[in-house]
Amino acid sequence: MTEHQMPFDHQPDTELGDALRRALAPAAHDAFVARVMSRVGTTRAGSWDVLASWAGRGIAAALLVLGAGFAAGRLMQPAVGTASLEEALVMGPADSGGAATAVVRGSRPPDASVVFSSLRP
Amino acid sequence: MDRYAEQARRVARAVLRDPDDADDAAQDAFLSALVKLEQYDPRRPFGPWLMRIVANAATDRRRRRSVRSAEPLDPGVVGGGPRPDVVAERSALSERLRQALAELPERRRLAVVLFDVEGYSHAEIAGMLKIPEGTVRSEVFHARRKLRTLLEDWREPS
Repeated sequence: MTEHQMPFDHQPDTELGDALRRALAPAAHDAFVARVMSRVGTTRAGSWDVLASWAGRGIAAALLVLGAGFAAGRLMQPAVGTASLEEALVMGPADSGGAATAVVRGSRPPDASVVFSSLRP
Repeated sequence: MDRYAEQARRVARAVLRDPDDADDAAQDAFLSALVKLEQYDPRRPFGPWLMRIVANAATDRRRRRSVRSAEPLDPGVVGGGPRPDVVAERSALSERLRQALAELPERRRLAVVLFDVEGYSHAEIAGMLKIPEGTVRSEVFHARRKLRTLLEDWREPS
């Protein structure tokens, strides 16, 4: 070891460095390089496989979320929208707003006799 | 890759005593660097960026070494020739240095190898290991103190 070197010397300790380099010297350089290079192609293909598997899972998850959202939306539709005109009229004049909504939102046309009977002279 | 292979393997071996484990870690690092190549800033030197990946790969492998076995190099390719450190005295000294290195904390081992063997600056090592530059100096100092003692003791009898 060189005598002049201080503990916090900013220069590398060449003697120690050389000794450590010998101690850590790797063997079979060419074999190692060949092995890594042989893995390079499979790694690229492997990364595409990983991405593809992620995409498949992502699509499945998106479909599940869409289905759940659609079902939740159906369940949360207001009940008044499904009431028929007859049901709304039975509720009485206080719920005349409900009758109007039933006429607008109803999926089938109201019975004319019911409409006319609801008209008061 | 050819240029950095030995350096990467030495740095990995500073973390992992087993040379096969170290080679696996170095290989992981090269493949990881290939995947992350878009993240590399070409205005900065390549070595520190790569060695940071190597150090991380070696540390990761050391953590999960207990559940995975190392992949040995193909014996047909390796051949049966003598390793560079087979000369008796150097081989014995190298073994003692490896033992002494293994007794150091991992960060200290990396710091002294990156500084004294690979020639990186304190600032570059600080970036690689994500620690303050002063801590790098301290780690190199403590590692050198122990390793120098070993070298001096080794020199005394001869």
